[in-house]
Amino acid sequence: MAVQLTNEIIDLLNNQETTKVLATLDADGFPHAALKQSLQPGENDTILYLEFLESSRTNKNLVRSIWFDKKVAIALRGQGGECYQIKGTPVKTHIAGPLFQEHYAAVREKHGDVDLAAVWVIEPEEIIDETFAVRRAEEEAAHPLFLHLDRRARQG
Amino acid sequence: MAVALNNRRREAEVTLTEIVEKYPDFPRLVALKIDVQRRGVHYTERAESVVDSSIHQMRSPYIFGSRDGQIRPLPESLILRDGTSILTDPTPLEQNPYLVDLVDGRLALINEGEVVEFVELWPKPRYYDKQTSSGVPMSHIASARPQRLNIFQSSFCHFWAEKQECRFCDIVNHTKQQKDELGVPTRLKPRDVYETVREALKEPGRFTGMCLTAGSVLKGEEIFDREVDYYIETLQAIGENFTTKKFPSQLIASAFNEKQLARLYEQTGLMSYTSDLEVLGEKMFNWICPGKAQSVGYREWRQRLIRAVDIFGRGNVGTGLVGGVELAKPSGFTNEDDALASTLAEAEYLAEHGVTTVYIVWVPRPGSYFRDQQNPSLDYFVRLARGLHNLRVKYGLGVDFDDYRRCGNHPDTDLSRLL
Repeated sequence: MAVQLTNEIIDLLNNQETTKVLATLDADGFPHAALKQSLQPGENDTILYLEFLESSRTNKNLVRSIWFDKKVAIALRGQGGECYQIKGTPVKTHIAGPLFQEHYAAVREKHGDVDLAAVWVIEPEEIIDETFAVRRAEEEAAHPLFLHLDRRARQG
Repeated sequence: MAVALNNRRREAEVTLTEIVEKYPDFPRLVALKIDVQRRGVHYTERAESVVDSSIHQMRSPYIFGSRDGQIRPLPESLILRDGTSILTDPTPLEQNPYLVDLVDGRLALINEGEVVEFVELWPKPRYYDKQTSSGVPMSHIASARPQRLNIFQSSFCHFWAEKQECRFCDIVNHTKQQKDELGVPTRLKPRDVYETVREALKEPGRFTGMCLTAGSVLKGEEIFDREVDYYIETLQAIGENFTTKKFPSQLIASAFNEKQLARLYEQTGLMSYTSDLEVLGEKMFNWICPGKAQSVGYREWRQRLIRAVDIFGRGNVGTGLVGGVELAKPSGFTNEDDALASTLAEAEYLAEHGVTTVYIVWVPRPGSYFRDQQNPSLDYFVRLARGLHNLRVKYGLGVDFDDYRRCGNHPDTDLSRLL
């Protein structure tokens, strides 16, 4: 079930200073996480991932995902410490056509003599706010027993 | 020139859904591609209403004809959401093709009234609107796929002149039809090819490779010498467009001897070589490819492929099969298990020697000798794709020159995206 991207997520995806990680699954089910600064917002609440290398592990894993309905996860960390995890599914890849060529020209303009293998379209299905302060508040509210006693010990 | 059609209606057979359930490790989208290629497509009027010839690639000159025997202004073909190309052609409704229809404003493949998958049409390359300096439409010089340029430099095959054409092939009948109806040249001038490639390269990101092919030319001091000369001339003209001597390219040609192969490799930018055995096994080859059998012979054709590995390198030499033609009547295999076992055993021999084997789905075309026949089951084609792919895995053979992107017509090499 697709979910909407919030403005904050879209801003994070648009910001080149954001740390962006894409995690995929290999044939044996092992996670493969890699920094992927080319993650960016797409149309209709999707996320685009520009793959520069046809033979990369991530690209193969994404092919496997679109063929066999495997999920991927994206982690974003902004400069202010805000963190999000987005779980989703690759639903399309552009290996030719107008959108592909538009990004091909853009990446070569930006990065010089590089190639572009694919523009992947990822549909987000779940967004989790992983910002520490937010998660800590959630845990303290939901699991008041999850703490070490010394944190509550009277001092002196 | 009209091509006579015979109607073929399929018996009840295993469906795509059943095949996907039976082979959970086989991608559904590749199985769908195979099934669409087996059965062909019919564009509904609604679908045709959204086709825009200014942005969609319309059917352009091709080396083989279509299942309906006609040349009509319809879309060239389809691409799936995973980037898989489907090379298929218009097919009479009587033959139970998939429908391409408009659903919620999008084109979709329809089977038995159900949407199977949404699809897109191939984008038209910009050079299609241009002409060469000699006045030939560039779309008649090179036809495009989503990421490949096809150059059919000569569509005459000398085996036809001696009535020894391959039994599944309609190249010469289709050539005549294209020449009569569209004015497509039967032999390309290297300068026209140079100009067309130059124009195609002006569209950044549009192409990753090119393929040259033509019918066999037997003439020369040694058999095929004239064919080699012509390829060298054309490849050298193409090469003027590049800054490096070698450029991503595939040649699908006759079985050349070592001297001819060395000339091709040394004098041109060619990076891979394919020579199609069409069907594996000497007995089937002799029956289905009488011209090839008589001029070179099965064993020598195979040896020439193996010797080509020494020149072009492992992973750069291949042979193509017309998958399923080994089950043609009356002299083909009578059951699919035997056909598969025989084909894969021969393909393994080639793989052991560094030659990779790929297949296209056999489509009995109305201009071919086998026009009245029916191709095998989806189950067979799925098993053939898996079998050939598994051989590449077993022998560590790459197939970059003929994969989903640089070709797009081989279900087995679509699977190499995971290698």
